[in-house]
Amino acid sequence: MDYLVAVLLPQLLHGLVFGAALGLLALGLTVIFGLLGVMNFAHGELFMLGAYAGLGVIGATGSFWLALLAAPLLVGMVAAVTEIATLRPIYHREPLYGLILTFGLALVFREGVRQLWGGDMRRILPPFPGSTPLLGMLYPDYRLFLLAASAVVLLAIWLFFTRTRAGIIVRAAVQDAEMLDGLGVNVRRVFTLTFAASGALAALAGLLLAPVFTVYPQMGVEMILLAFIVVILGGMGSLGGSVAAAFIIGVAQSLFSLWMNPQRVAIAIFGIMIIVLIVRPRGLYGREGVLE
Amino acid sequence: MSKPPTWRVALVFALLAAVPFVPGVSRYHLLLAFDALLFGAIAMSLDLLIGYTGLVSFGHAAFYGLGAYATAVLLERGVLSVWACLAFALVVVGLYALVVSYFATARRGIYFALLTLIFAEVVYTFFRYTQTFGGSDGIQGLPDASVWPGVLIDTPTRKYYLVLAYLLGAWVVCRRVVTSHFGRVLVAIRENEDRARFLGYNVQRYKMGACMISALLTGLGGAIYPIRAAFATPDLMVWTESGEFIISVMIGGLGTLVGPVIGGAFFTLLRDKVSSVVDWYFLVIGAVLVVIVLFMPRGLLGLRRLVRLRRGRLPA
Amino acid sequence: MRRLTTLFLIVLVLAVAGVWMAAPALSQSKVVKIGDLGSKVGVFEGYGKYQTMFMQLAVEELNAKGGVLGHKIEMISEDDETKPAPAVRKAEKLILQDDVKLLMGAVSSGATMAVMDVTKKHKTIHWNAVSCAEFMRTTKFHKHYFSNQPDSRMQAAGLAKYIKDKMGKKVYIFYTDYAMGQSDGRQFKTALEKIGGEVVGVAGAPLDTKDFSPWFGAINQANPDVLFLAFAGTDSLRLMTQLHSFGMTKKYKLAGIDCFLLQQDLPSIAESMEGFVQLAHYSAFNPDRNMQSVNERFKKKFGVDGNIMAGAYDGVMFWAAAVEKAKTFDADKVAAALEGMCLDDTHIGKQCIRKDDHQVVMDMHLYQVQKGKNIPIARIAGSDTIGEPMVGKDPVEGFTWEIKKKN
Repeated sequence: MDYLVAVLLPQLLHGLVFGAALGLLALGLTVIFGLLGVMNFAHGELFMLGAYAGLGVIGATGSFWLALLAAPLLVGMVAAVTEIATLRPIYHREPLYGLILTFGLALVFREGVRQLWGGDMRRILPPFPGSTPLLGMLYPDYRLFLLAASAVVLLAIWLFFTRTRAGIIVRAAVQDAEMLDGLGVNVRRVFTLTFAASGALAALAGLLLAPVFTVYPQMGVEMILLAFIVVILGGMGSLGGSVAAAFIIGVAQSLFSLWMNPQRVAIAIFGIMIIVLIVRPRGLYGREGVLE
Repeated sequence: MSKPPTWRVALVFALLAAVPFVPGVSRYHLLLAFDALLFGAIAMSLDLLIGYTGLVSFGHAAFYGLGAYATAVLLERGVLSVWACLAFALVVVGLYALVVSYFATARRGIYFALLTLIFAEVVYTFFRYTQTFGGSDGIQGLPDASVWPGVLIDTPTRKYYLVLAYLLGAWVVCRRVVTSHFGRVLVAIRENEDRARFLGYNVQRYKMGACMISALLTGLGGAIYPIRAAFATPDLMVWTESGEFIISVMIGGLGTLVGPVIGGAFFTLLRDKVSSVVDWYFLVIGAVLVVIVLFMPRGLLGLRRLVRLRRGRLPA
Repeated sequence: MRRLTTLFLIVLVLAVAGVWMAAPALSQSKVVKIGDLGSKVGVFEGYGKYQTMFMQLAVEELNAKGGVLGHKIEMISEDDETKPAPAVRKAEKLILQDDVKLLMGAVSSGATMAVMDVTKKHKTIHWNAVSCAEFMRTTKFHKHYFSNQPDSRMQAAGLAKYIKDKMGKKVYIFYTDYAMGQSDGRQFKTALEKIGGEVVGVAGAPLDTKDFSPWFGAINQANPDVLFLAFAGTDSLRLMTQLHSFGMTKKYKLAGIDCFLLQQDLPSIAESMEGFVQLAHYSAFNPDRNMQSVNERFKKKFGVDGNIMAGAYDGVMFWAAAVEKAKTFDADKVAAALEGMCLDDTHIGKQCIRKDDHQVVMDMHLYQVQKGKNIPIARIAGSDTIGEPMVGKDPVEGFTWEIKKKN
């Protein structure tokens, strides 16, 4: 019982916290893939840009909350411009070009940030530094907030996709963009807005995680792999799938690190991923035929 | 366009072989040239996969790194023969490549890219985060390899000739593949996989073949690296290293074989020389990549190739 | 035809460029070059940048007195990206292309050991002022290598007793999982257990870990008195911030290695570091006359306080003195001159290079962080920490990570 409370439950909590933020990140990625057929290698950099944009806003205004609003908007705009300028021209081409192009974009964003802000690690202080006695240890309030905030955003997104007209259009576009075009919807605008929104989501995740992980140019590179895994596990293009998978991966990572050296946990996670890809490439809730 | 006359190829290699004798070329320059040619040769073998078969491997760094560790493990134990190292690397990389290529070619689309990436990450994580092969520091302080007992590959000049021999070998293999029937089927698969299948070709087997050849060539290249550097570290296998191979191929030109060699050499020289002076070159590389995909999908040298393709001739 | 001609032209251009680059630069006066190799970016950049600054101070002071052997000293700095592979490439460049007569570096132990292979092969005087793995003066040692950084064995010897006597018997060792941290973990566990302390747990986190909370549950479960930390650079910053937010900095007493946190980073996490004890040879807040003299000079030039990278300053001074004594830059003769050489008025007083393993014997202090400053609380004699020379011997023979459970 003591072990359960002192060690297991806190790990579970870590996993949920991380999984929630991961869910925000993966959601954007899976929507983009489902909609545009593009596996966005630069998604991690949008995540990173969110943290840096937050850094900039906090530097200018001193308010974390303002940054939480402004940073995603700023990054969303950057994403929209990028989509129009670089992705639109290549939708009809083989997917390999999308991979390479977004890889190049990732480099540009990453190195651009390094030039502007320097390669050193920066810190964003949590807006409230206290801790709450929980499960036998003092749990930082900010991490609890992170969990709550991510959950709220995910809920809002779910409502958006199921209850609003715009959301339903996007879901329809993910299923069949051509049909939608035939119905008179401005598909190009849907694409751009969706890409911008996914960027904004990634940025939000980046800023929310920044007080925990600190801010540095490589932060996107490290998250992107995990995000890919979540998307694959959940099923490419499946929204609910990627959220579920994010929590699963987050918790799995956390719990595994109790039993094996945390470094090797990654191997276990990748191993699971390979098995999933081989046995059921569509993941938990993905559509058939996407990868089969 | 059919293959270029042999004398031109021979001329290029003769020129390259003469480099150590050019006055003013220092030991340091030879080591730099080594890195450049090695990277170029690996980019060329990757081109077989990306340019000719249309499969983007984001996990080539794993083949490279495994080859390097194979050599390192042998050298560490006193097995100095370069032939033993190359053979061992072939076995190790071959086994890994067999597994990866089998599963990666099983389905279509970006599945191949993702699976090669994740397999490579597993390998990287294993080497970096476990202490079995030295952890993040890798295997260091390796002795020089030998061509036969008593003849060590110890000077930069000898190392340079080693990589030149490798480049020549890799070139010959790639040319053979590309001009053979096998190579033409690969191109057909790239152009339209379904049609190739309907024509009766076992597409997966051809893809696996291309992947294996590319992987083995890359693995041999990796095997040579510790002979020059006296160490093998997990950083050779980071997935961004795979990205750098891809960049080299794109810069040089998809589907040209020669292009990636130049692209790889150029990229290496840029990275090592320029990084001391300026640190924003990666920004430029990223931008160049974007520009190439948008406007010059066939890369710098490949532009001509694209034109020839349209005129109905086979790429050679 | 055109394609191969282009290729040919490119090769030609590259060859010409190569020759042009190789042409020796015209120089008016006699110049000698020294190399500064270290982490200039990333997790250890604080150390790398200060290494450069301290070396610049030394070079400036030496050149003001006419340089060394009538040569003006020129310093070339390179970044090794905190990894062995780039470190080796840059070391080769410094040695083969720039022809440096002294190579200072690197910062990360892994990189330093890789570079040692290069300096051994090309017989270059190699000085290290900050890497503390225990292999450099044992299994990897070569005769052109010198160091004034107290390695993990020395630090353990100096600190273990204080921890057991004054802080607590039960210690949890948390280290960064690569050469340096593993070395510190090993040596401190050995030293603590030898004097009757109890190591209740050990754990390692990879270099550049972002979130240390996965390890906290186990630490709390082990219920130690003292938390011994072997991390460095930005890892330490993150670790302390996170430990503090989980309330663990108040729950346990804190101790660690000398390079755990540089003074310039302390103010931002002063509260979490309160009470932290370490063994080091430099602190800007040590009122000792010698220490202040060096610190003043550094502060005058750079506007900030110095830190343990002062070892790099001493290294350059040692080398210059040896060159003057040997009257040549020849590595063998300089190395011979360095053996047994002493400098008297360094920041810590007298420093002497021991002949057996080329390690500097010098006094150090136990420092405790009080309100964001490293305050000395005891002086430890050099002879107490230096330990016996173990050149060629395996320093980890017989070591086990196993925790001996005491009920």
